[in-house]
Amino acid sequence: MSVHEPGTPGETATVVAATDVRRTYHLGEPVHALDGVSLSLEEGSFTAVMGPSGSGKSTLMNLFGCLDTPDEGTVEIDGRSVTALSGSDRARLRGTEIGFVFQTFNLMPRLTAAENVTMPMVFHDVVDEDRRARARTLLERVGLGDRLDHAPSELSGGQRQRVAIARALANEPTLLLADEPTGNLDTETGAEIMDLFRELHDDGRTILMVTHERAIAEHADRIVHLVDGTLDEIEEVRGSKAASGRDRSGSEGSE
Amino acid sequence: MNLRESLRIGWRSIVGHKLRSTLTTLGVIIGIASVITFMILGGAFTADVVGDLDDENEPMMSVVTQTEPDAGTGVMHVQSPIYTESDVDRIESIDGVEWVAPTGSLSPVQLTHGDDSITGGFSAQATNPAPFEEDGLYPLEEGETFSTEDEAIVNLQAARLFDEELSADDEITVTFEDGSTENFAVAGVADVDLGGSSSNPTVYVPLDAHYTVTVETPRDTRERGYPSLLVKTESIEGLDSVQDDVEAYLESDSDAHELKADDHEIVAQTLDDLVEQISGIVDQLTIFIGGIAAISLLVGSIGIANIMIVSVTERTREIGIMKAIGARKRDIVQLFLVESVILGAIGAFFGVAFGIGLGYLLVSWIGWPMAYPLDWIVIAVGVGVGVGVVSGLYPAWRAAKTDPIEALRRE
Ligand SMILES: Nc1ncnc2c1ncn2[C@@H]1O[C@H](COP(=O)(O)OP(=O)(O)OP(=O)(O)O)[C@@H](O)[C@H]1O
Ligand SMILES: [Mg+2]
Repeated sequence: MSVHEPGTPGETATVVAATDVRRTYHLGEPVHALDGVSLSLEEGSFTAVMGPSGSGKSTLMNLFGCLDTPDEGTVEIDGRSVTALSGSDRARLRGTEIGFVFQTFNLMPRLTAAENVTMPMVFHDVVDEDRRARARTLLERVGLGDRLDHAPSELSGGQRQRVAIARALANEPTLLLADEPTGNLDTETGAEIMDLFRELHDDGRTILMVTHERAIAEHADRIVHLVDGTLDEIEEVRGSKAASGRDRSGSEGSE
Repeated sequence: MNLRESLRIGWRSIVGHKLRSTLTTLGVIIGIASVITFMILGGAFTADVVGDLDDENEPMMSVVTQTEPDAGTGVMHVQSPIYTESDVDRIESIDGVEWVAPTGSLSPVQLTHGDDSITGGFSAQATNPAPFEEDGLYPLEEGETFSTEDEAIVNLQAARLFDEELSADDEITVTFEDGSTENFAVAGVADVDLGGSSSNPTVYVPLDAHYTVTVETPRDTRERGYPSLLVKTESIEGLDSVQDDVEAYLESDSDAHELKADDHEIVAQTLDDLVEQISGIVDQLTIFIGGIAAISLLVGSIGIANIMIVSVTERTREIGIMKAIGARKRDIVQLFLVESVILGAIGAFFGVAFGIGLGYLLVSWIGWPMAYPLDWIVIAVGVGVGVGVVSGLYPAWRAAKTDPIEALRRE
């Protein structure tokens, strides 16, 4: 399965890069959510972000995901500066280049699983039949081929997150962003979701994932540690890439 | 996002909240239904009163006295016998006048034919045979105009008072207020279509033998006085100038001018004038009702706007999700605008349907001919959709400027 080595230097291209980004919130006294962070993601890399609550993980995620723009510094996706884009172009970019997976799943409650997966394609004007075929393929891919017409309320937490992952993959994004994707799931279900992420990684996808749990983070190639809006340390996870990496269980918990 | 998708999604959301959507559109439904209903009533009323009058003008005018009513709009006809014998002669001598038929109202109480008696609900008028002559004003369905004093003409409505419709040569008896009775042979049945009074059953009797009202003229003589005159002109082309001449005479040295009350006005009215007058009244009413309907549409539109704002607030999180997965501002605007336009269009559709239904019921209950106000139906649908757009604009704009990060953070 994992024939290619995603991390080989010199061969891979940078898909997204943040350079010295700062994001400051002004509520009374200014809060420096991000205070000069530089991070680039190579094609096919799997990066985990850890750090204490309020350290700016979600803020960084939103910048990479084009939901937000930095006050200073640049974010580039495929070499294009996000800051320079119009709101409408950023929305386009979110639809085509980014796939979001959230802690709280964030499915459209009144739509079925298949329809949820279809949504990004609707905004991207994909033809109806193609959309449905692709939604089916994607849901089969995440193991929900038999739950196409279930509403989110009729699915378990793990199943909902699978639907969300299928939706994130709808437009073949360059980058998969996941903000605590296992945060609302029990350990076992969380592990299943991580298996899925590993498979996607093995397929060559670029993934950025925020997590509080060390065990989850260790599925990635490297762990970025944020503290108070600054990049504290980038830790390479040795031996994690192999599917057997999950054997390294029982390591220290998060904080 | 293409329009079909937003229609589908908007429709789903409307169907997902059936009760709410129904209540929301109710304002628009009521607004539009009332416009349509009143327009049908107005149209039917005009059609009934004016009938086929407005097709062609007739070479005739009626000279009547009118005054402004104390309350309300329009004019009121008064029956004062101010047009004297001399006036009739003078008008008859005006160039272009063919004949003048004075008309005097009698006070009948009962109309008898065989064993059948009709009490009240009809009128009797004394006039000349001229209007009923061949090629005259009032075409005869059968028979001919009266030639002796004990002959009468009945109009269609009077003929139909009896189970067995009156026809020529039938014998009728009219009993008057003072208890006197007169026997008549029906000479003919006339189709009298003359605006307002046309629908009353009427018996026409010869003037000379049956009209007795006299007045003291300004010249200190006693002459017969009539409450109204019917003037036939020689041609339709000359109608306007003859009308001017007749009015000029009546306004200057006529007996009528001397005899009339100060606040009364003498008018020579052609059919065109009559149609215009009636349409004028109906139009005034239409504007008034249009105003009321506009208010209810405004209320309906506020209703839609309100529910759309609620819906935007309620769906903030969904909007955030849609933005995160690639929806642009214009997609969000489109979604919400389409939804409110659907609501408006539904309102318009049911409003028009209910309006036509109610209008039809009322009109057939009153007995007027049904009228379909096509222009108003088109306007109503346009307004309904417009209401949808207008009331959806602000909520859609609010939805579009939702910050996805904030929206997604909400629980
Ligand atoms: N909209 C906002 N307005 C003001 N301050 C904000 C806003 N969003 C985030 N912050 C602040 O920015 C800092 C970073 O927030 P962020 O959500 O990125 O933290 P986080 O690392 O994701 O935390 P957690 O692990 O709890 O999710 C926090 O101090 C937070 O209070
Ligand atoms: Mg966070």
